[in-house]
Amino acid sequence: MRVLVFLEHRGGELQKSSLGVLAKAASLGDGDVAAVLAGEGAKALAAEAGGFGAAKVWVCEDESVAQPLPQPRVDVLAHVIEEGGYDTVLFANSVLAADVAAGLAARLDAGLNWDLVDVELRDGELVGKRPALQDSVQVDVGWKETPRLALFRAGSFDATPAAAGGEPEVAEVSPAYAEHSTLARLVAQDVEESTGPSIEDADVIVAGGRGLGAPEGFGLAEELAQALGGAVGATRAVVDAGWYPYSAQIGQTGKMVSPKLYVALGISGAIQHKVGMQGSGTIVSINKDPNAPIFEFSDLGVVGDVHEIAPKLTELIRQRKS
Amino acid sequence: MSRPSNFPPPFDANDFVAEPSDPAEERIEVGVLIVGAGPAGLACAIRLGQLLEESPEVAEALGDVPVALLEKGKQPGSHLLSGAVVNPRGLQRLFGERLRLDDIPSYGAVPGEAVYLLTRRAALRIPPPPPMRNHGNRIFSLSQLGRFLAERAEEGGTMILPETSAEKLLVSHGRVVGVRTGDKGRGREGQELGNFEPGSDLVAKVTVLAEGTQGHLTGVAMSRFGLRGEEPQVWELGVKEVWKVARPLDRVVHTMGWPLRAGARYREFGGSFVYPMGEEMLTIGMVVGLDYRDAELSAHDLLQELKTHPKIRRMLEGGERVQWGAKTIPGGGFHALPRRLHAPGLLLCGDGAGLVNIPRLKGVHYAIESGRLAAEAAFRALQRGQTPATALSSYDEALRESFIWRDLYEVRNLRQVFGRGFVVGGALAGAMTLSKGRVELGRMRAEPDADQPLLETGRAAAYPAADGTLTFDKLSSVFASGNKTRDDQPDHIRIERRVPREVAELWAHMCPAQVYELGAEHPDGTVTVELAPSNCVQCGAITAKGGRLTPPEGGSGPEYTLT
Repeated sequence: MRVLVFLEHRGGELQKSSLGVLAKAASLGDGDVAAVLAGEGAKALAAEAGGFGAAKVWVCEDESVAQPLPQPRVDVLAHVIEEGGYDTVLFANSVLAADVAAGLAARLDAGLNWDLVDVELRDGELVGKRPALQDSVQVDVGWKETPRLALFRAGSFDATPAAAGGEPEVAEVSPAYAEHSTLARLVAQDVEESTGPSIEDADVIVAGGRGLGAPEGFGLAEELAQALGGAVGATRAVVDAGWYPYSAQIGQTGKMVSPKLYVALGISGAIQHKVGMQGSGTIVSINKDPNAPIFEFSDLGVVGDVHEIAPKLTELIRQRKS
Repeated sequence: MSRPSNFPPPFDANDFVAEPSDPAEERIEVGVLIVGAGPAGLACAIRLGQLLEESPEVAEALGDVPVALLEKGKQPGSHLLSGAVVNPRGLQRLFGERLRLDDIPSYGAVPGEAVYLLTRRAALRIPPPPPMRNHGNRIFSLSQLGRFLAERAEEGGTMILPETSAEKLLVSHGRVVGVRTGDKGRGREGQELGNFEPGSDLVAKVTVLAEGTQGHLTGVAMSRFGLRGEEPQVWELGVKEVWKVARPLDRVVHTMGWPLRAGARYREFGGSFVYPMGEEMLTIGMVVGLDYRDAELSAHDLLQELKTHPKIRRMLEGGERVQWGAKTIPGGGFHALPRRLHAPGLLLCGDGAGLVNIPRLKGVHYAIESGRLAAEAAFRALQRGQTPATALSSYDEALRESFIWRDLYEVRNLRQVFGRGFVVGGALAGAMTLSKGRVELGRMRAEPDADQPLLETGRAAAYPAADGTLTFDKLSSVFASGNKTRDDQPDHIRIERRVPREVAELWAHMCPAQVYELGAEHPDGTVTVELAPSNCVQCGAITAKGGRLTPPEGGSGPEYTLT
């Protein structure tokens, strides 16, 4: 199997989700894994990709890929796939990656399995895992022919550095861009200001629900998150009530997250919230209602008033850290 | 005590009537435009396909898209929910020789039936009252039937546009000329988001509204053209679940009595049904008339309570709930039918027009038959190459000659007598049915559901707590409806936001999807009602009980597959 992983970078940093896919591909252990990086500053980041298991990194810093637009990247990928003879191309979901994957599938007339959460080799065959029926079951999916394309949910894999990681071979590419690929222009790009890490990338999330009592209650969540070096999440109920921005909403109709530590403050744990965070490593919840459903899937549950416990917890963590 | 109708919603039907506004070259022109991919709309589309196939010259004259059908759900069937034991007559008349009944996906003929009168612990088997006999009827999932009929409609040339809501009725010179579809991609405050797509004018020679219960534009059209019947329409609310079960159920079961209360002052009319769906599944539902008075009555919680009855619990033991949903049913019957089911350029079909036989618990075959008759009337008008204001009146004539009218006339006063309480009402209903409707007990007037003064009896304390196995709370039920509506879209529910506590309680308990919650209390005793509109499964109960549902962004709402 010859695997190529599409890496994304932003602000001089490789995106964790795409590194996770690279690490996963390398761990399959079936032949060398290559990565492709396009855009400004790609070359400088190539070496880092080696640490996550890429034996070879294709880089492209052409003017055409300077902006985060999908179509020129389809040209780059199509070119690299032909040059390198890859039969499997993996993406971590993002707005850009989803567009690129779809465009590439159309370009190559290839099969794309999307929304996967895992992949494995079974008797030499690549098998993807895709949640279905509202994530209640996982179905096995495969590909009828090559190249096989797969798009993984963000946060499906940990970006674990490869054991045998090392300096990768770096190859620069500059494909011929199709005329229609270069017609789109990026007019403006707005980045939402946030102080901490984004909730998809954070290792620690402190999430607040209606149990915080009022919008001001989110101060407790923010302080605890800061002490833990994490990000702040919110339930739909409090976003609906206007206590916290939609961008922090976790759950069925918000973001799917899988941090190492998830601290739930005053969250009852409705299933709509659960599906967005059940992949978290350790779940700690504080709620005054002992019958709250969240205790059924918490590793550590504390029955008590979040307004008393959270500030003390924050203080303890600060002391421990200083 | 308060009446919900004293707190009318901020809603004006005139806001949803408009002249076409898109420039002429941008309007989408179709021949016949059908709104709603339910049994009525799909039957209409299928019949038009048959007729246009036989008369290609008429099809030719209708342009590139002779028949278009709008569906607000993700796909046809997404918003369809019914019992459903269906009288096959409508399907047989629609397909004739073209399709055998056995070729239509169903769960087979009714294998047998039983009716029980329940008390809290006991179940008394009683002979099925004549209207409830189901010999020869078949069991369907209406959602699955909808998807099957949609495929037939597309084969016949209908263009189906899913995830598209019909927001405004286009009226020009006193004639309906199509609909305007809803915008997509607006934020909470109505602002245009990155993926904003404006709605568009769909212009048609004939517009058929087959929107089902509480149809948005059907209501607008009734106001605009003065179509409301002599009596107000009233509704029932049904909540149902689909279960995978360990043992097959060998009959269709109906229950009356508990957990509803018999006293006339409660006005609790309704019952439950349990239908087998093949060997491995069954569906269980609870239906209650929305003319009830208790502010704490909750159809969802009544269903949960029903499942704790020993008789019912046994049927579900070892099983697993796989889907949940809710919908209203128009229950006013004959006297609440619109004065006319047509207006210039417009036809009304199915549940939207109130074509439901509550005593027999049937409406799907009326929906199909009315859709078929609407197609024929539209075709006759188009065949003549013109559609003057009166051209569609043949639809009303055909309906009055049909079995729909006959059936509904026979049971015309049955629903209303239950306003006298379950026991007296039941006896009167028996007398009326046995005489095939010839006994006149004097006209019993119905009042709008929202006019009933509210009662408070502490009813909610008796509802069982959710255990996650047999009984479920509302939020996990909304999840089981497949609803994953985008949260940051404009609120589509119109209610008075500050009302007396009991009215707020009424809405909070009534809504099976937990859309309404009690917010801040004010010194004058009123409370602010907080809304979670994205929970909404568009059952329509709020429109019956003092609010007004409007269509959310297309594609919102439940995604039913088995209901």
